[in-house]
Amino acid sequence: MDLSLSEEQEMLRDIARDFLRRECTKDMVREMEEDEIGYSSDLWKKMADLGWMGLAIPQEYGGMESSFLDLAVLLEEFGRALVPGPFIPTVVYCAVPIVKRGTKEQRETYLPRIAAGELVMTLALTESSATFEPWGVNVKAVSDGEDYVINGVKLFVPDAHVADLMICVARTQEDSKDEKEGITLFLVSGKAPGISYTPLKTIASDRQFEVVFENVRVPKSNILGEVDKGWPIIEELMQYAAVAQCALMLGGARAVLEMTVDYAKERVQFGRLIGSYQAIQHKCANMLTDLEGIRFATNMAAWKLSEGLPAKMEISMAKAWCNEAYQRVCTEGHQVHGGVGLISIHDMQLYFRRAKAAELAMGDADFHREKVAQELGL
Amino acid sequence: MDFNFTPEQEKFRQEVREFLDREVTEELVQEAEKGTLIGSGPAIKAFNKKLGEKKWFCPVLPKEYGGMGASHVENLILTDELLYYRALPLMNVASQCVAPSLMMYGSEELKQEFIPRIARGEIEFALGYTEPDAGSDLANLSIKAEEKDDYFVINGGKLFNTNCHYADYHWLGARTDFNVPKHKGISLFIVDMKAPGISLSPLYTMDYERTNEVFYDEVKVPKKYLVGEKNKGFYYIVTALAFERNFPIGMMRRDFEDLVDYVKETGKGKDPLVRQKLAQLKIELEIAWIHTYRVALMAEQRKVPEWEAPMVKMFATEFMWHMGRAGLEILGLYGQLVRGSKWALLNGEFEFLYKHGRRRMITAGSNEICRNTIALRGLNLPRG
Repeated sequence: MDLSLSEEQEMLRDIARDFLRRECTKDMVREMEEDEIGYSSDLWKKMADLGWMGLAIPQEYGGMESSFLDLAVLLEEFGRALVPGPFIPTVVYCAVPIVKRGTKEQRETYLPRIAAGELVMTLALTESSATFEPWGVNVKAVSDGEDYVINGVKLFVPDAHVADLMICVARTQEDSKDEKEGITLFLVSGKAPGISYTPLKTIASDRQFEVVFENVRVPKSNILGEVDKGWPIIEELMQYAAVAQCALMLGGARAVLEMTVDYAKERVQFGRLIGSYQAIQHKCANMLTDLEGIRFATNMAAWKLSEGLPAKMEISMAKAWCNEAYQRVCTEGHQVHGGVGLISIHDMQLYFRRAKAAELAMGDADFHREKVAQELGL
Repeated sequence: MDFNFTPEQEKFRQEVREFLDREVTEELVQEAEKGTLIGSGPAIKAFNKKLGEKKWFCPVLPKEYGGMGASHVENLILTDELLYYRALPLMNVASQCVAPSLMMYGSEELKQEFIPRIARGEIEFALGYTEPDAGSDLANLSIKAEEKDDYFVINGGKLFNTNCHYADYHWLGARTDFNVPKHKGISLFIVDMKAPGISLSPLYTMDYERTNEVFYDEVKVPKKYLVGEKNKGFYYIVTALAFERNFPIGMMRRDFEDLVDYVKETGKGKDPLVRQKLAQLKIELEIAWIHTYRVALMAEQRKVPEWEAPMVKMFATEFMWHMGRAGLEILGLYGQLVRGSKWALLNGEFEFLYKHGRRRMITAGSNEICRNTIALRGLNLPRG
């Protein structure tokens, strides 16, 4: 048993923290909340130069072939710095399934460009049904000669407006007994004729979109995996995606705790530092306890995925816990900060709002607890 | 990072399980269930001796003192299994508190007199800290130990000293100096419970435990039974508490599995609310489990888990409480039935946990004190 990071992982963490402190300031984060594109292409290029997009991509495709745990360490720093942009959709939601399930040609075509920061991708999965269960997939894809034709509406698609390429999850067979069957994954160009986007306004001020597919043609060679058998790929990528969100939440929770303790050690009321009041001390103790739980659960899940061990239970345990624990950390953080934490120029509310996006992405607490119940055999 | 155990550790666990499969009888489990009500009955005494023969009663002791020189992780593996098999009452003072403290602070003479007998599972200790005016404020204790020629005379009283009614020895904190700051005037003694002048008055808790008022009337304790240096007792107590406090969750894992089995058998597993409750318990269980190994790993690296130990105590006891509560919610009306009642389900374990969890959030360092310690030592927040 060893709960610590390796020396290399600590170095990666320190380098990332340092770089992001300089290059992804809270001023930039605030600016990007209002910006139409929503992220800085300059920062994107710098991260690509550091090899971050290709961190977990195999070397033969231009990546560094590090482990998923290493990527989780990096993503923790993203969560701390509130890095805006399509990094996780590209590197986790899309690169992971292409590495694991793409044809040789697909891997050779897309992975080197992702690693170089030249290809931005996203996943169009959820719809108005607002579920991560397979029965929620109703966007239709109908076979027509050499192509499929896609029709329907996807919702909550991150960074769709800047995606060069999307994985679109569509139903290719209506009458299967099990809703998991009859789903196919299509690699669709973001600029394909028939696609239109409407930005959604979100609490996190992140970039999520309604994406309408109107008779969008996709060549059959752009299917990822096999026809009708796409759902297992989604289940698999959702495992990595959920843990990626946990890593973001870990970094965010740590930042909130640090900010809160710092404030408690400065703010004086009634002639005393507020950190000397027991109520404040107990809130901070609860925050640290929640943070340690976030850390343990996230690390256990990320490690198991990295080792190729079965991890369904651990992943859902982590996502369910992190979703609620990060919320609690932000709640207590807000209480300690009092009025100032509510003001938009303060960082506390940035984390509070961003927490909701991480919580909802890839399954909320109830969804993942249900998965745990299934793993328990109930 | 590695969440696996080594092959040697897995082999050890297997060996422990095989031993427990053989040696844990229904009689032993029933005695252990009674906890402190009767203390160590014949089955527990015999079992402790068997553990002692395997060097498993206090495994972290060095081999020359009767232990197996076990690492803290091995110790935790063993304890978890003992708890899982329901073979261990929840706290073993002699091996958890006394032996480690004697190894750190006791004279060689004291070590030789007590450690081998502890290692063989032959003697039991009771903690003697709490008094009516010294609960969370341990340093406020005032039972008086007056120094004479070659002995101390002790007068005063203790409250909520559990195990005294069956322990062989009292691990006593007493005041040897009334003219210094409170925490600087306390000494630690080993007192023979059969010494003239000691009397007990039982107190029964709502969770079927027995604790005691203890009265010391001119009790003579030979000087050799002063542990370490005079007036350093508080320091010894606090360091030992930080080092040795862990909260293995083996029995709670067993309780959880029993609850899951019950839910599966009765079809209650189809109820989404039940599914959610059990899933949440499972998450807390596994996080608590990692907490316990974190503390064990720190102890192995000789790092004092100043805030990490209070955190595990707090988290594990609150989990116990959550499980008791959730279990009773799932059992509905049956949840109120006490072990032994007609119609009681799951051996009344969850009625017990509901009350026991309540208690464990208070005793052995209340969770409020734990939170204070986490804030002060873990986050360096200023004192009030």
